[in-house]
Amino acid sequence: MDKLNNEFTKDADMTKATFETPLRFERPSIISHVLFALFVLFFLWSTANAGLSISELLSGFPNMATIAGEMVPPATDRVWPMANAILVTFQMALVGTVIGIAVSIPIAILSARNTSPHPIVRHITRSVVSFFRTVPDLAWALFFVASVGLGPFAGTLTIIVDTIGFCARFFAESMEEVDPGPSEALASIGASPMDRIAVVLMPGAMPSFINISLFSLEKAVRSSVVLGLVGAGGIGAELAVSMEMFRYDQAAMIVLMIFILVFAVEQFSSSTRNRLLGQSK
Amino acid sequence: MSNYADPSSLASASVSAASSLLQVSGLSKSFDNNSTPIFSDVNFSIFASQSVALIGSNGAGKSTLLRCCLRLIEPDSGSIVFDGEAIDKKSGRSLSKVRNKVGFVFQKHCLVPRLSVLSNVIHGNLAYCQGPRNWLHGFARQEVRERAMDCLAQVGLAHLATKRCDQLSGGQSQRVAIARALMQQPTILFADEPTASLDPQSGQEIMELFERLVKDNGLTLFFVSHNIEHALKYADRVLGLQERRLSLDSVTHTQSLQSLRAFYG
Repeated sequence: MDKLNNEFTKDADMTKATFETPLRFERPSIISHVLFALFVLFFLWSTANAGLSISELLSGFPNMATIAGEMVPPATDRVWPMANAILVTFQMALVGTVIGIAVSIPIAILSARNTSPHPIVRHITRSVVSFFRTVPDLAWALFFVASVGLGPFAGTLTIIVDTIGFCARFFAESMEEVDPGPSEALASIGASPMDRIAVVLMPGAMPSFINISLFSLEKAVRSSVVLGLVGAGGIGAELAVSMEMFRYDQAAMIVLMIFILVFAVEQFSSSTRNRLLGQSK
Repeated sequence: MSNYADPSSLASASVSAASSLLQVSGLSKSFDNNSTPIFSDVNFSIFASQSVALIGSNGAGKSTLLRCCLRLIEPDSGSIVFDGEAIDKKSGRSLSKVRNKVGFVFQKHCLVPRLSVLSNVIHGNLAYCQGPRNWLHGFARQEVRERAMDCLAQVGLAHLATKRCDQLSGGQSQRVAIARALMQQPTILFADEPTASLDPQSGQEIMELFERLVKDNGLTLFFVSHNIEHALKYADRVLGLQERRLSLDSVTHTQSLQSLRAFYG
């Protein structure tokens, strides 16, 4: 027993001699200091270029109060045309999102690391999706308005492209995160890649797919409101006309309707997510 | 460690490929180019209706060897003959045809958690019939569903057919994985540490199930295990990987707990 204790003490001494308690925080390197200093300088320059001005903000307060005063009470004289426009806005968002999601699934399969047939295919599809995502939706709307004319079709096309840019990327990432074990198990018995995608990856990624799709719908509803400002149909066009004609009371009614639509979609999305994903736990 | 090998029972050296179900010759594998191999020049044969255990310490390359036998991991060199067919040059559909005959049970079960037990068992039929008919039990042909229920009955889980796999215990999941392998009607069953994630009682039950399948169905079993008692009790032969070599290939009854423990020393 004494021998054992001696051995233990010897080991403990060695450990003490060999290892020191590490510092709580690593000292930042010179490069980190330089980068931080550069960031601070760039931020200060940016505030100047962003036009931040306390005096202009203070002088704008009376105008804000005037406009806010003219917004109350919201006008009810054009409620039905506005309700129709908000319905079209939602329909654009819904159709665009559903078609966008349907197109995103095969694109995601081609661009996910564990499902893509070839690295070149993966890089091409990823680049296309990245391009769809990085071009702002207003730029797409202007492009489609110029291509197919004013109206909701241009807006729907914009939402399709925007949804593909969003969903295809996140669908691919969620398929890459699925546990590879079951896929390996099916590969070991000779199942085809298509079988493995359908049987393992799609069910495995389904909770993420549902989540991403619902967020995508929320996003599409919000952006479809703005698309009308450039002539792509929906309530945005009504809002632009009201603001140009200084009918702030009508604009207030439109903003109220937009709030109700976005709030309703978010509530629906949230309850659907809880119901579908709650069951899967 | 070569003193543990029983030269009289080194089956692989004396038996031709034609009479063995699986013959592995000169198999080597390393993961980084020019690095020390995980194992090299591995030779062994497995015969029909045999139960063979592969033992070795962590990192010895047991799981890699098992996967190399099916080319789920590509070996660097060596030849693999399965049921009289060399598989080292096969690819695509012809390799799949060989894999169809091999059931594989993994340590972590590898079931699709969100699907039902019955659907998971039916996936075993993808070995022979690919496509949507075998993706979900709702799409499957009646005879396939009935055969899947038979497989579940063999592992004692027919009453859980509609339950989701993520609601099963570890032991039940492993039984479902075995039922999926049985659905393939395999010639040989590979099992990679099938009891490692289970409690001792469940592990014992799984090994007894394997023993029954070998005895009653004439199945050939090749399993990796850290449990020496399981190796001695349930295997006819034991292979041991140590220091990058297959240093033991012996019938089990000539081995003891003490002699096999040396592989973990």
